[in-house]
Amino acid sequence: MWKNSSLRCLLALAILCLRSLIYSQEIGSLGDPQNLKCVTHNLQKMLCTWDVSSRGRRGQTDFCYTTNDLTPQVCFKTKERRVEIPIPESSITVTIKSSGTATKEFVIHQKDISFVPITPHILSLMPDFPTSTLNLKWSDNGSVFPYGLDALWQIQILRKEPMEVVTQVTYYSKLTHEDVILSWNWTSDMPLECTSHYVKIRCYINATQFVGSKDWSDWSPTEVIPGKDTEPGESGVFPLDPVVAVGSDLTFCCVHEEDQRITNMTYGSKSYTMMQLSSRSHAIRVLNANVSNSSGTNVVCRLENAWEGSVVFVGYAPDTPQNLSCETPNFLIIKCTWKPGRPSGLYGERRTKYSLFERTSGRNVSCEVSGLNKDHVCDFPVLPAQKTYDFILGVSNPIGQAKSSLLVDITQRVHPKTPEKLTVTENNSTSIQLRWFINGSFAEIRLLCQLEISSSHSERKLNVSTPGRKSSTYTAQVNELHPHTKYQFRVRCSDADHFWRWSDWSRGVEQTTSEAPPARGPDIWRERSPSGENVIVFWKPLSPSESNGIIVSHEVSCYLLDMLLEHKVVLEPSNSTEIKLGKSDCVISVVARNNAGSSPPSRITSVELPSDNVTTDQAVAVGNGINISWDSYPNMTCGYIVKWCHSSGSEPCSVDWQKFPSNTTSVVIKSALFKPGVRYNFSLYGCKSMGYQLLKNVTGYMKELPPKTAPNFIVEETSSDSILVKWEDIPIEECRGFFKRISSFLCKGEKDALKPRLSESGNPELKVNNITDLTKKSMKILDLQGKTSYQLELQAYTAGGLSPPNSLYVVTKEDSVGLIIAILIPVAVVVLLGVLASIFCYRKREWIKETFYPEIPNPENSKALQFQRNICEGNKTLKTLEMNPCTPNSVEVVETQSTAPKIEDTEMMSPAAETTVPEDGSESEMENHVVVSYCPPIIEEEISNPPTDEPGGSSQVVYIDIQSMYQPQIKPEEEPEIDLVTTAGYKPQMQLSISALKIEGHSPVEEELDKTAGYRPQANTNAWNMGTPDSPGSVESNNENASFGSPCSINSRQFLLPPKDDEDSPKPINTAWSFTHFFQNKPND
Amino acid sequence: MAAADSPSAALRRRDLCSRGIRLAGKMRADVVDLLDAYVEQQGLDASASVAAVEGVPLAAVERWDEQTGTQRLLENLAAYRAFRALLAQMLEEQREQLGEADAGLGRALAAVLLQVSAFAYHLEELLRLESRGIPGEEEDGPPPPPRLSRFEQKLRGLGVLRELAHWAVRSERQLAKPSPASGAAPGLAESP
Repeated sequence: MWKNSSLRCLLALAILCLRSLIYSQEIGSLGDPQNLKCVTHNLQKMLCTWDVSSRGRRGQTDFCYTTNDLTPQVCFKTKERRVEIPIPESSITVTIKSSGTATKEFVIHQKDISFVPITPHILSLMPDFPTSTLNLKWSDNGSVFPYGLDALWQIQILRKEPMEVVTQVTYYSKLTHEDVILSWNWTSDMPLECTSHYVKIRCYINATQFVGSKDWSDWSPTEVIPGKDTEPGESGVFPLDPVVAVGSDLTFCCVHEEDQRITNMTYGSKSYTMMQLSSRSHAIRVLNANVSNSSGTNVVCRLENAWEGSVVFVGYAPDTPQNLSCETPNFLIIKCTWKPGRPSGLYGERRTKYSLFERTSGRNVSCEVSGLNKDHVCDFPVLPAQKTYDFILGVSNPIGQAKSSLLVDITQRVHPKTPEKLTVTENNSTSIQLRWFINGSFAEIRLLCQLEISSSHSERKLNVSTPGRKSSTYTAQVNELHPHTKYQFRVRCSDADHFWRWSDWSRGVEQTTSEAPPARGPDIWRERSPSGENVIVFWKPLSPSESNGIIVSHEVSCYLLDMLLEHKVVLEPSNSTEIKLGKSDCVISVVARNNAGSSPPSRITSVELPSDNVTTDQAVAVGNGINISWDSYPNMTCGYIVKWCHSSGSEPCSVDWQKFPSNTTSVVIKSALFKPGVRYNFSLYGCKSMGYQLLKNVTGYMKELPPKTAPNFIVEETSSDSILVKWEDIPIEECRGFFKRISSFLCKGEKDALKPRLSESGNPELKVNNITDLTKKSMKILDLQGKTSYQLELQAYTAGGLSPPNSLYVVTKEDSVGLIIAILIPVAVVVLLGVLASIFCYRKREWIKETFYPEIPNPENSKALQFQRNICEGNKTLKTLEMNPCTPNSVEVVETQSTAPKIEDTEMMSPAAETTVPEDGSESEMENHVVVSYCPPIIEEEISNPPTDEPGGSSQVVYIDIQSMYQPQIKPEEEPEIDLVTTAGYKPQMQLSISALKIEGHSPVEEELDKTAGYRPQANTNAWNMGTPDSPGSVESNNENASFGSPCSINSRQFLLPPKDDEDSPKPINTAWSFTHFFQNKPND
Repeated sequence: MAAADSPSAALRRRDLCSRGIRLAGKMRADVVDLLDAYVEQQGLDASASVAAVEGVPLAAVERWDEQTGTQRLLENLAAYRAFRALLAQMLEEQREQLGEADAGLGRALAAVLLQVSAFAYHLEELLRLESRGIPGEEEDGPPPPPRLSRFEQKLRGLGVLRELAHWAVRSERQLAKPSPASGAAPGLAESP
């Protein structure tokens, strides 16, 4: 145990001694070699350096090293303080002895060695200004290393003043035991011209087996690409005319002279903020550039006294060609087409360029394309003995490139050229031969050609297959053409074995075939003339497809048992002829003839079999034709014929017909000539072997329309409560449909009144009568009022509607019984009142006498007395007991010859008295008047107007007979004389113009009298109300008024202030009841 | 002035001058229109300052009132010959740069080129009438211009058209204005 402890102590001591020894190797004593450091650059040798004191720096140094005890020590002398020795596998012992110093021994382990690669050197730095790209080249010095290693290269780019690191990238490479030139490209976001760019590089080798420390190499010497701002006198905007993709971020710089100042920099029309790169260079940055216009976008640098600029073209990389297709039109060239896709936005020398490369042959063709948006085409030559072509269409522009490929067998992509030189040769009227030429070498294929044969009414295509030849003419025959028809021919061709596409149609050529005899005989019909002596033969023109030419004539023959009775040649365009046949019959034959010959004959017999019970039906078109149906007639063995007649007004009837087979029982007759509202008469004939038999008639309309007119009618009889109306038939051409009914509308109405149609008036008193029995031609309308004006309208109805009305006015006669009653009742009432009044006066005569005629008259009762007297004298109207405070100032002495006046209604209401001035009678009485009092007692007579609508309503007129205080009497039958004034007695102050009171008949004589008249009252007598209902003495009273004249006259006050409304009345409205009116018709009656 | 002695020559000169005035007027109007279209199509500013372009003759020559008619004719002829070459070059550049795009501008440019050629020929006719020799055109033509950037081409085109417009005005006036020497004949046609 102790022994072990001693050993341990000895061992520890030895270790301490050894450590101190080592330490002495490194540090040593002052003046000894020290700080031995070893660095390797190639992992094979290392460079060891040490420090020595100044004393030891002179003279040679003995340097020895040994890697282990087995190898001999290597010694050599050196004057430097560095030696290169191999790198030991584990450690190396070095002894260094400088002159004048002690020998120093170092032990160097591998871990103490540093690995620093050799500083790389840039072999070249090349700028590419258009792309702003730097290309850096350097050698990796791989040959110096004993084995392959991973190397990292750090590259730094700097620019601006002072320099700023723009980017620092690490580049990875493998060292392969040989020197390799490495290359690295860097594209600057700023044009290289804008300012100087600096590049340096260093290296780090990742030697994993090396246990010592590893470090980056030193930076290589800086290489520089000088900018334009370093070149004296250089200026401009950079990059110069670049072409960039849409959406790019762009940097433009303006290099200028040192002493120049930039005003601004614009891109397009927009000004951008500048950043200074150097004292002579400024830059702007444009983000997300838009597509420029065709002339590019200007980048302008505005200096104080000049403009610098560049034009940038912003566009798209070429789109991938679409729908690439290749075909051969002639086996000489291959034509490839494609759609270019999106436009690049670049033009001119920057446009998209195309090239066609064929991989099998390795042949490349540059394509010249034109047009901006059309399909692009490129031709490639057909190569001998090559059927399959592997095309690559390359597309490129300054921004990018694209391609599209196609593998094609051209024998299956034949699109022949358009056939040329098409000609037609006629063989006969139904056959022609076509010839055409196709340019191309089609010897290896068969051609399928399509012939189009079209005429105005038909079109068909005919396929012809023929062996292909080299630039040859091809022929084809076309049959089954129609004679005398204008045809148009054209042709196109394709590959018969592998159809790809038809060629374009050739130019069309026209050919009219020659004529041939008509294909069939015309469709014929016959009719007996109205006299029955002749037969009219009709035929229909043949259609162009049947006539085979221009029909020049028809030959009509008439045979009786093979014996020709008559033969006629009828030239076109007649379609009928008349044959004199008498009462006999024959077989009629019609042949159509053109320049090429005659048609087969059409035959028809003239025999018309008798028929009975022929009915006439009515029919209206349903749809576009008129339907005619009939019962089946089994004995009609050869069908039916429907015949009708087209007639338009005055033109003669044009016969038309249609034939139908025997089993037909219903047909629809259609014709473009049918017009709505026109009546057509159809006749159905049955065909028997013996002849034709009329079976039925049908009257029809294509469409019913409203009748053009209403029936003309008259009022044949008129009574006080009924009228008898008679009307006539409407002409057929004006019916325009089948009559359904006739309607009459009756309503009270004056002739002059403007009224709407009665049928539309909605008048509740409208009387409507509908006559559906169209055989009736008259109608009696009852329950009318007598002496009344009625408006009567008649209208006719069809299914198409209502005719316009036909109207007239009629006035019913008077009802005489009612008239008599109307006269008698008032007369009886008056008489009765008179009798009662007389009885009353007679019974009360004593009282009346006492009251009104006392023995001793009481002056105060004088007016009452007067009143009493009026009553007793039977004045027709009751006078008010008005006691006017007027004292008589004179006494009127009247010598009257007339009896007490008896006023009759007839006189009062006489229209003659209203409208005319009495000419005599009244004047005779006036002559006897002696006026002795100017202001007599006033008796006012109120006369109410009859209840009328007259605007004047009622007026109050005072009539006074100064002499008798009675109304003067005028007999109604007396005609007043015109010469009223001249025959009148004295009239104070004036003669009133009589004419002023007249309505009509103002004669010149009267005018002259007016001129000579004296004083005029202060009123316009012309404006006086003539319509005032007055008594028979009204005219006379007017004259009386005229005689007084003064406005203060109580008699004339009514007329001095005539009602205004009456002035507007052009003539008096006679509303009074007049006896004569009972016998007076309306003026329009 | 031999030609001036002959009445027919005077008539011919008057006819040539009046046609020349019309031609210059039409050319001026067309160049002004072309200038507007050119500025718009090239994205330029109408106020763009264009330095004197090499080879483009300047219309604003001092004291041209003092020049004789023949001198003016010769100067005009030299100018329009230069314009003819410059416009042809512009047209070629236009085709290169734009291809089929903006064909309208190319057509207008070609039309003005035609008018310039016609006017140059017209001037030669006037000179012949003056019995003056017509200076020959350089056979090799002017030396090819240095390769210009696209922007420089645009500016040069602008300068050419502006100056051509000025020349058209000058020519029109000089043809119309009476010569200070003669007072009757058009200024351009006046011989010393």
